[in-house]
Parts: sequence; structure tokens; C-alpha cells
Amino acid sequence: MTSRGTQHDIASERWRSLLLRFVALSCWAGFPLITGAQQSAFQQDPVDHYGSRFLAIVIVLGITLVLFSLFRYRGVDAGPTSWALLIAGAALFPMILSGVGNFLVFERAKTVQLCGSCHLAMKSYVDDMKNPQSNSLAAVHYTNRYIAENQCYDCHTSYGMSGTLEAKEQGVIDVYRYYTHTFHLPLKLRHPYRDRDCLKCHAEATKWIAAHQDCQEAIFAGKMSCMQCHAEANPAHNAVAQELHP
Amino acid sequence: MSRHSIRTIELDPRIIRSALIGAQVLALMVYAMGAGFLFHTNGGTLFLFALAAPLLIVAAVLALAGVAIYRYFRRHSLFAFALFEPGDFLVQQGDQADFAYFIQQGEVEVVRREKESETVIARLGEGQHFGETALIGNAPQHATVRAVTRVRVAMLGKKKFHHMLRFVHPAQGDLMHAVNQRARKQSAERAEAAAQIREDQIP
Repeated sequence: MTSRGTQHDIASERWRSLLLRFVALSCWAGFPLITGAQQSAFQQDPVDHYGSRFLAIVIVLGITLVLFSLFRYRGVDAGPTSWALLIAGAALFPMILSGVGNFLVFERAKTVQLCGSCHLAMKSYVDDMKNPQSNSLAAVHYTNRYIAENQCYDCHTSYGMSGTLEAKEQGVIDVYRYYTHTFHLPLKLRHPYRDRDCLKCHAEATKWIAAHQDCQEAIFAGKMSCMQCHAEANPAHNAVAQELHP
Repeated sequence: MSRHSIRTIELDPRIIRSALIGAQVLALMVYAMGAGFLFHTNGGTLFLFALAAPLLIVAAVLALAGVAIYRYFRRHSLFAFALFEPGDFLVQQGDQADFAYFIQQGEVEVVRREKESETVIARLGEGQHFGETALIGNAPQHATVRAVTRVRVAMLGKKKFHHMLRFVHPAQGDLMHAVNQRARKQSAERAEAAAQIREDQIP
């Protein structure tokens, strides 16, 4: 009886030691990957910077708890300790991960990298935007840093909460279409580009006022649209989709 | 027929185990989605982490909560419940008394075995109880109880039964009244049978 107990203790101790090594290794290997994956050092977003570290710790601890519980108790609720492990590993930590993780989801959903991650459909638009030789509106805005960050999001999301929610809803549909290959090239906007999404930045700018003296009243009155002049001669994006799929 | 065919109304431990392991597997999937999103953010990993992971968490929490609630009610429930098929023995004469039985559904017969003979001394149905006399006297069962129809009984353990007698005075009164009535009825039946025998012996 005693020797069986001792063997059990040794096995348990071995598991504990292995799991501790797993935690240490994951933290050591994970942090540089997470931190290196996002932004350059001078641009660090505190939500992303600290959020990703916090979530990495939650993930490593959560996995450790679940694995320990699975190997130690094998699905048997043997007492308060097993219940504590079950609740922490299978409910509490996942809830923290999802709850805090959603802040990060909202932050990262705005990034150019995320838009560009749908390679087949979006990468060419992002490449054009980042191309210093390109004369498209997107490239001019990006290379001159007229918009500091999240350039896709800033130009394609309307004002306020409803604009953000609308963008998220459309984003979910876009992801679905991308992964089910139900999108069509060249991509088209769901609705004509809204003047207010240009004017939210330009309307007060002296350079824009000087350049649009003859037509700004018509634009503000809704009788003229930005795209009337900027769609063909000075497009927002070069027609890269056609180049991809001629 | 024997007591082997008793079906206690409880969840199979395998179901509970599967629920607990399932909850943990769901949690591991959530962690994997979280890690995927953190290390390789793209539309797919973001979509999974933001929309699918919360659903998995809800499923895991429901599984855990279900098992916890079940365990809580099992631990704090006064009665255990069991089903017996016709012919099953609920209680064997001479066995140690462990439970008082309260019939919720069906009918049983109380059989007294003496030497080679077997006499049905009572038939009990819904709302009646048995086994309490042996518990009160801390004596072996004085008769065998057999299911006549499909029977569902609520079983009150020895310890809980004595607690109930000690703390719930109306229950004590009701039980003693029922035991007395049953004893009186049995002694009247015995007296009647003895009188009948005497009458038969008179030439």
C-alpha cells in the first residue's frame, strides 16, 4: 500500500515537473514571437503590448491546468481540488481569455496586416497602398502618413459606434466569403463610397478647401460626390484585382 | 429474478466523466484558438477566436454547471430513487436493514417465509411504506418484499431516517401510527387464523 502510494507520488511529481517545464518553455518561446509579430518598438500600442503578454500567460496557465487535471483525475470529480482545477482550467481561464482577448480582437481587427491577411482578395490592394511609386489615393495617404495607422479601417469605416459595428458585421461576412471562396473578383464596395468618409478628415483642411473652392458647396450639399472626380483619373486604388486575375 | 435488475435513477458515471472531459477538451480548443489568434492574426483566427471560442466556452461552462448541479442535488437530496421490475426482490428476509422504502408507483407483496412455506402477509401500493420497522428496531428484515408490478420507490437511508425521526416530530407520529396499525392488523389476522384452526379441530 505504501509502495503504491510512493509510486503514485513519484508519478505525480514527474507530471508536475514536466508541466512546470512546459510553462517555462512556453513563456520563454512565446513572448518574443508575440511581441515581434505586431508593431515596431516606437509604435507600441499598450493594449496590444500588455494584452498579448497577459493572454499568453492565461493560455499557458490554462493549458497547464487542463492537462494536469486530465492526467491526474482523468475526468473524475474526486473532490474540491479536482473541482477547483476543472473550474479554473475549463471555465474561468477561458472566460478571462475570451473577455480580455476581445479587446485585442477589436484592436487588431483595425490593422492593415489583418486586412492584408486575406491574401487572394486583399493583398494586392495593400501592396498597392504600400507602394511608394503608386499614385493611387490609398498610396498617397499611406506613404505620406496622412493617416498614422489602421489606414484601411480609417477610410472604410464610417463614424461612431454604428460605423464600427457595421464594419465588424461586414468583416464577418467577408471572412466567411473568403474562406468559402464565395467572393468575386474584382472586389466591389457594397455601396458607393460615402463622401462623409473623405470629409471626416478633409473638410476642415486648408489645402483641401483651397483645392475645392469651386465645388465644396456642391459637395457639402450632396449635389456632387468625391468619386465623380477621384474614381477614374485619380483612383483610390489602382485596379490591381484585374492584374491578379486578368 | 433478483436484485440485480434494480435500476437506480441516476446518471451513468460514464456520462458525467464524458461531460467533464468534454468540457476540458472544449477549453483546450479555446486555448488553441486564442494561441492561433495571438501568434498568427488573420481573418480566420480572429473569426474563430471572436465568434467560435465564446460558444465553446458556453458549452464547457454548461457541461460543468450541469454536473455540479447534479452532484449538489444528489448530495443534498433526502431520498435515493430506484426502479424495480415485476418479480424483483426489494428486500430479503433476514438481510440487514439499510433503507426505509416509500412506494411512489406500482405494487409490492410482503412475503413471510417460514421453513418451506411462503405466506403473502400484505400487499402494499402507492403512498405506502415498508422497511422502517427494521430500521427503528435495528433488526434484520422480518419479511421479503417482492415487486408485483413495475415499482418506483424513494429510499431513505438509515442515518437520514433516524435524523428524520429525531427532528421531524409529525413524521415520527405518522410512522409510529402506521407501524402500530400494521402490527394490529397482522395480530388480528393471526388471531382469526388461530380461531379458524381451533374451530376446525372441534369434532
